[in-house]
Amino acid sequence: MINGGERQEHKTTQFGSVSDQWVRLSGECLELREILDSRFRRKDIRCSAPGTRHLSVRHSALGTRCSLLPYLCSLMQNYRNFCIIAHIDHGKSTLADRLLERTGRVSAREMTMNQILDDNPLEQERGITIKLHAIQMDYKTNNGETYKLNLIDTPGHVDFSYEVSRSLSACEGALLVVDATQGVEAQTISNLFMAIDQGLEIIPVINKIDLPSAVTTIDNVKKQVMDLIGCKEEDMILASAKAGIGIDEILEAVVDRIPPPKGDPKAPLRALIYDSVFDAYRGVIVYVRVIDGTMKEKDKILFMATGQTYELDEVGVLFMQRQRTGVLSAGDVGYFTAAIRKLQDTKVGDTVTLASNPTTQMISGFREVKPMVFSGIYPADSDDFEDLREALGKLSLNDSAITFEPESSSALGFGFRCGFLGLLHMEIVQERLEREFNQTIVTTVPNVQYKVITTRDEVLWVDNPAQLPNPTLINEIQEPYIRAQIIAPSEYVGTIMKLCMERRGQMLGQSYLSADRVDMTFELPLGEVVFDFYDKLKSNTRGYASLDYEYADYKAGELVRMDILLNGEQVDALSSIVHRQKAHEWGKKLCTKLKELIPRQMFDVAIQAAIGAKIIARESISAMRKNVLAKCYGGDISRKRKLIEKQKEGKKRMKQVGKVEIPQEAFHAVLSLD
Amino acid sequence: MFGLYLHIPFCEKKCSYCDFYSIESLAHVDRFTDVLLQEIDLRRDQYSGAMATSVFFGGGTPSLLSPKAIGRINERLRETIHIGESAEWTMECNPGTVTLDRLEAYHATGINRLSFGVQSFTASELAFLDRIHDADQAEQAMVLARKAGFRNVNMDLMFAVPGQTIETLTHNLECMVALQPDHISAYSLIYEHGTPLYAKLKKGLVQPLPEEVDVEMYKLVIDTLRSAGYHQYEVSNFAKPGFECKHNLTYWHAANYLAYGPSAHGFVGTTRYWNKRSLTSWMQDVSNGTLPEANREELTPQDLLSEFLFLHLRADGIPLHDVQSKFNIDLRKHLHPNLQYWIDEGFINDANNVLSLTAEGYRVCDELTVKILGTRY
Repeated sequence: MINGGERQEHKTTQFGSVSDQWVRLSGECLELREILDSRFRRKDIRCSAPGTRHLSVRHSALGTRCSLLPYLCSLMQNYRNFCIIAHIDHGKSTLADRLLERTGRVSAREMTMNQILDDNPLEQERGITIKLHAIQMDYKTNNGETYKLNLIDTPGHVDFSYEVSRSLSACEGALLVVDATQGVEAQTISNLFMAIDQGLEIIPVINKIDLPSAVTTIDNVKKQVMDLIGCKEEDMILASAKAGIGIDEILEAVVDRIPPPKGDPKAPLRALIYDSVFDAYRGVIVYVRVIDGTMKEKDKILFMATGQTYELDEVGVLFMQRQRTGVLSAGDVGYFTAAIRKLQDTKVGDTVTLASNPTTQMISGFREVKPMVFSGIYPADSDDFEDLREALGKLSLNDSAITFEPESSSALGFGFRCGFLGLLHMEIVQERLEREFNQTIVTTVPNVQYKVITTRDEVLWVDNPAQLPNPTLINEIQEPYIRAQIIAPSEYVGTIMKLCMERRGQMLGQSYLSADRVDMTFELPLGEVVFDFYDKLKSNTRGYASLDYEYADYKAGELVRMDILLNGEQVDALSSIVHRQKAHEWGKKLCTKLKELIPRQMFDVAIQAAIGAKIIARESISAMRKNVLAKCYGGDISRKRKLIEKQKEGKKRMKQVGKVEIPQEAFHAVLSLD
Repeated sequence: MFGLYLHIPFCEKKCSYCDFYSIESLAHVDRFTDVLLQEIDLRRDQYSGAMATSVFFGGGTPSLLSPKAIGRINERLRETIHIGESAEWTMECNPGTVTLDRLEAYHATGINRLSFGVQSFTASELAFLDRIHDADQAEQAMVLARKAGFRNVNMDLMFAVPGQTIETLTHNLECMVALQPDHISAYSLIYEHGTPLYAKLKKGLVQPLPEEVDVEMYKLVIDTLRSAGYHQYEVSNFAKPGFECKHNLTYWHAANYLAYGPSAHGFVGTTRYWNKRSLTSWMQDVSNGTLPEANREELTPQDLLSEFLFLHLRADGIPLHDVQSKFNIDLRKHLHPNLQYWIDEGFINDANNVLSLTAEGYRVCDELTVKILGTRY
């Protein structure tokens, strides 16, 4: 949709002086004479002035080599790489849209359609950005110079904090967007600190200043921001992305305050992978920020973490779509393809270098992304197991974080034990399976991965409670802990403390961001957080608390496996690992919940919670008394048949354990225990 | 098996629970018969030539048609359709409006089975149900029927009626058994959508009996009638041996039937049709020489199988051999291992290669139906 406009735009942009025939290139071009030579005929290149390093390219030749333009532009050092740090709903996407609109990247008409950066419907629905994107904009400053601005989008949820850190590494600066009526949130702070740690220039933006309630809150919010990053009041830009206020100031600040990228285009190649997506036609498309060196098509590259080598197919930059340029060099943000078949072969944070001339310096900060939350995913209809396998395979093509291994359950049949970055990631995967891949699935209660030390001092990693060894063989069970940061209005301190204590949390610290805003740090077992902790936190604080967390250590705990028995038969998919002191309470609640969820059967059903052989809670469901409609004559038959068909569908969503039919919701009943 | 159903959509007074189509205006009664005769002619093309084994006048209140009118209809049926010598020929009657003369006259037209909507022998319950007769009239109706020569009589009984108690139901059952009808239909009251009773329920003006009382009453009905020599051959139907209602078994054995009159449902081959549920539009269509159908549906093999199974199950059982020969399905194998469990727990009888419901089984018939039909074939 934009392509038609590209050519025009570039002819008139920042090539220094554009004469009738020659476009003069300013900047460090001479080193790249070699590349220009390979792209243009000799007669189309000349030195602008003898003795200088400035080159010019014939205008007419540019026309035919238009795809090289963005690359040439990048030589100018007139560009800025930046991202936006903001809490959900503080207006990041709206601001991004506004910037794109202001720089002519999208028309106002397209703007009204939707927010541009969130191009996944699920993301749009949840008002959050899951996958990373980048987009290049042209901005003409007030004094007439044109800059290339690369806006690198960052995901907005705690599950993806590693990805956020990698995309921050691709930038020299960040817009810190804070809602004038809400103030600073936990998520924002942790990302902000990450950005500051990485030396990014921070431009504070107070957004939504046009909201009537901002009048009373804005001074407080300003103070929070000043305290947080130690800036002056005049450093903050007052804006309203929605109303288009402050957009020019933001763009000017991006140019003025954020430094241009550094890096040596002649050094050995070092490019940071900050994202990748799978494309059915091209294989994996890798998004990179080139730190040093130059990469061009046909180059042989090496992924340093995985040791794999590929030949570059296509190299380019990102506008609204990918724009092939053939080359990327130091400072550039762009993409490449190299016939990479699996997303898992490209690791976010990995360093790309040239196989022929590799760097010795890997870009720091790389780590393998490990799943932290696990859940069983089963086909609702056991015949659909292979379909589900295929769907998970396809889904993992563009979700490198999910892991899945076949497992079987006596209750649910054959399915997969899947690993996720966190709860949101899990929900996204489940929803994608249902919506994009049309799978009807049953999911089990999420759990964490336990480290079990056996009596023979072996270490076992257990990600399915049903597989916990016999207690007599266990010396110790360790569980993962997180360090959680919670920011909320101070009136909720008590509520939050109570919730965290209930979840076996320990407070590590507490500080006031302002008179009525508190920042608390807790250490919590992750296993307690995966059960509706976030929902509870939100509802107990009327939505005002925000949460961020990072993974801490494994610690030993008094953990036991609690089983659920229906009419004496253990339902493996309902087993959970709980703290001994909470087992009774959990058992009772779970039994009550199951009583609610399991419909009456043709016989009585006993529900029991047990630790080992000891029953710790019980409930019972009495048999259905009557289920028959008295009358069925000629005029009733069709209706009755259709009703049965409908009920059959309902039954299909039930799983039979022994003789008891269990609705699928029961398998994650624990999530909604009160 | 092949049945003929004729719907007579007139009532002196509509009962609040009834959802069959009928109107209280008798203005069109005379013209109705003529139009019905026309519809019998119109549907001649659908008739396959099979011998009819039953004719059923339902309603409404068919006894609002004069014996002469019934006679004309029967005559036209005989002219059009081959009706077997031993065909069952039923007419529904309101016990409050019968006389010996009239019953004899009906008998003379060929009607050989009567079905009385007795419902209860307790005055308060009859009032609740808007019935126009009383207990004495019900007894009298039986006497007259026998006198008029009817050797096959059904009486309807209703239970789980608000206000009913185990005591009054016991009384009702005793009275009914004392009259020795050959067949008893005993229904648990259904709150059908669109009936005045349903409206009252929604407004909270009627309190349905608790489920446990309904269950207890159903058990009482089954036990009482079984021990009085009536065997249960459908969820709500009991008969002395040999007096099972052939016509209703036509429905429950998924066999064919032609149907006439407004709102009547017919089933021919694999097609089900239903007539318009309006006397005037039905009359208009037939008078114009067009079929007065509201709609038709073509049953898929899957639909036919579903109906075959669920209808047989709620009646006298699923004949496994027929399932095999008609649908090429080994049902016993498919239902394994649940079937054995249902048999062991006493929900299902497995005898003579027929899977039939026990008294316990009838109580949860719809649950078992969904389980059986939900099994993959």
